[in-house]
Amino acid sequence: MNLTSNAARLVSQVLAGEVWPALADRHAYRVGPDGQPFVLPGMGGVTLGVHCGDPATGYASDHLEPGASVRHREAGANMALQFLTCVGNTVRVESGPSAGALGHVIGQHAYVLVDFAPDVMAGVSTGDQVTVTACGQGLALAEHPAVTVKNLSPGLLAAMPGGTRADGRLEVHVAATVPAEAVGAGAGMVSEYANTDLMGAYAGLGADLSLGLEGLRIGDVVALEESDHRYGRGHRPGYLAIGVISTGQCLLFGHGPGPSTLLSGPADAFGVVTDPDANLASWLHGGWDASGSHPGRENAR
Amino acid sequence: MSAGGTARPPAGLRPVAVNLLGVVEQPELGGTPYRVDCDGRPYVPAGDGGIVLGLRLGESVFARDADHAAPGACLVHPDQAARHALAAYSCIGNLAVVRTGRAAGARGAVLGKRGEEGRVIAAFAQEDLARLRPADQVAVRACGQGWRPPGFPPDVAVLNLDPAVLTALPVAPRGGGTVRAGVRMIVPSKLSGNGVGRPSASWDLDLQIRAGLGAPDLLLGDLVAVSGLDARYNMGYRNGWLTVGLVMHGASPLPGHGPGITPILTGPANALLAEPDEAGHTGLTEAALQRLSAAEVEVQ
Repeated sequence: MNLTSNAARLVSQVLAGEVWPALADRHAYRVGPDGQPFVLPGMGGVTLGVHCGDPATGYASDHLEPGASVRHREAGANMALQFLTCVGNTVRVESGPSAGALGHVIGQHAYVLVDFAPDVMAGVSTGDQVTVTACGQGLALAEHPAVTVKNLSPGLLAAMPGGTRADGRLEVHVAATVPAEAVGAGAGMVSEYANTDLMGAYAGLGADLSLGLEGLRIGDVVALEESDHRYGRGHRPGYLAIGVISTGQCLLFGHGPGPSTLLSGPADAFGVVTDPDANLASWLHGGWDASGSHPGRENAR
Repeated sequence: MSAGGTARPPAGLRPVAVNLLGVVEQPELGGTPYRVDCDGRPYVPAGDGGIVLGLRLGESVFARDADHAAPGACLVHPDQAARHALAAYSCIGNLAVVRTGRAAGARGAVLGKRGEEGRVIAAFAQEDLARLRPADQVAVRACGQGWRPPGFPPDVAVLNLDPAVLTALPVAPRGGGTVRAGVRMIVPSKLSGNGVGRPSASWDLDLQIRAGLGAPDLLLGDLVAVSGLDARYNMGYRNGWLTVGLVMHGASPLPGHGPGITPILTGPANALLAEPDEAGHTGLTEAALQRLSAAEVEVQ
């Protein structure tokens, strides 16, 4: 997007994180929509084989977090990592066989979620140290004062198609539009942390559970109808939230693939264009080289 | 419909009661007092947990400038696992007796519960509430989870209700395998806020409704129906389903939050029928709660 922003005024911070293990308790099972008990992997650790552009659903998984799930051991430092890290930020592996490799942030889910190239990911494991170069919180668009920007790196913003239209609206390309009925767990939480689970995407379950969202892909940019995410996540007629699908398949009821929030404001501030290529893979996946330059900026179409 | 059967105890099993210990909560805040409302204005939350005085059942959820204020005392437990159990097993109408402090001996009743770390809201007479103090101990006679009221169709799940409280609510089985619930209003599931995706046995569901948007007023103690919401286990969207809950805390300025309901009934909309009455509805009243808390407990 060719936009006037305050990107040049933003600072970057170097933050430490650690690839966090998957967690379970001694009861093992959780409960699906019809009361079905399940034990399924996907949250925490390093989840292999699912990257931006791949289907979000259709896996035997729950709370599928593609790639590496990253936290910090200290509570306050962890919240700084979660709040300050933005989608598109560069992440460097610091330990283990993949040390030195670069990836990028695709979202938040109470973990920072990092996508690496498959060969890099194969060498990353729980306990590996990573460094996030965090930049983006505070980003503001001078021509769009009604639109709040969050969790969005300036490089990714520059790489995304769209921008200010002749009618003054902010054109944003989205792969899908999501009805307000789909908003599940995550409502009422702050929008700089975790994401908004979308219901109605339980691939293979009953029609009464479907809201037609089974086709979402990891990395899809989506528009959430009747959603105001400027100061947290709430329902509000006449507002829109734009997010990127950063997590996938869930069987836990009331949960599902989730967008991390990027933009929010009055619906009439946006010009939404449906575009199947509106996916992080279109803008970030070419950035696997180890140059250290910002992948979003390097691979703008 | 994929919702085949309910994985709940079969009918005819006797519920058991357990004495749990609750501790009156002191509200907690972080290093900054501010929260941010849905319009971006900072505010200092008052009434969010602990002992709230002066708030009564039958009052509008929008009557106070407060955050999640509940009419009574919130009970917690210092051990987190015990706190979850307190929230999960306590049911609306359960007897609550103060064991320590200046209000020792006072009898009240559970009005509902709240999620996250878990809180049980206990209603007491105002003079007893005024003598309560955070850290006072309250015994809760928890009973109701797993209970199946006689005459209810199998596909309507009942939860979070003391067996004695049902007669105090406008809920009754009807012919043809249905249950009828009188409610203040029916709201669509897209107004479900905090609580979606969480277990209905221990969380409340915030409704994202605001005062003055043409909606009818909503009172503490009212029953409300949410259409398109299944609350048998976790709460989530299901077309053709209905959930009825009891309003037990007031509105909140936070985005995604609002007046909260403790779910009590959930089932297919052709078996669980909600009859809205915006002007004449009466839900749970203080008089009914007083009768419950005054009743001698049957020794099982």
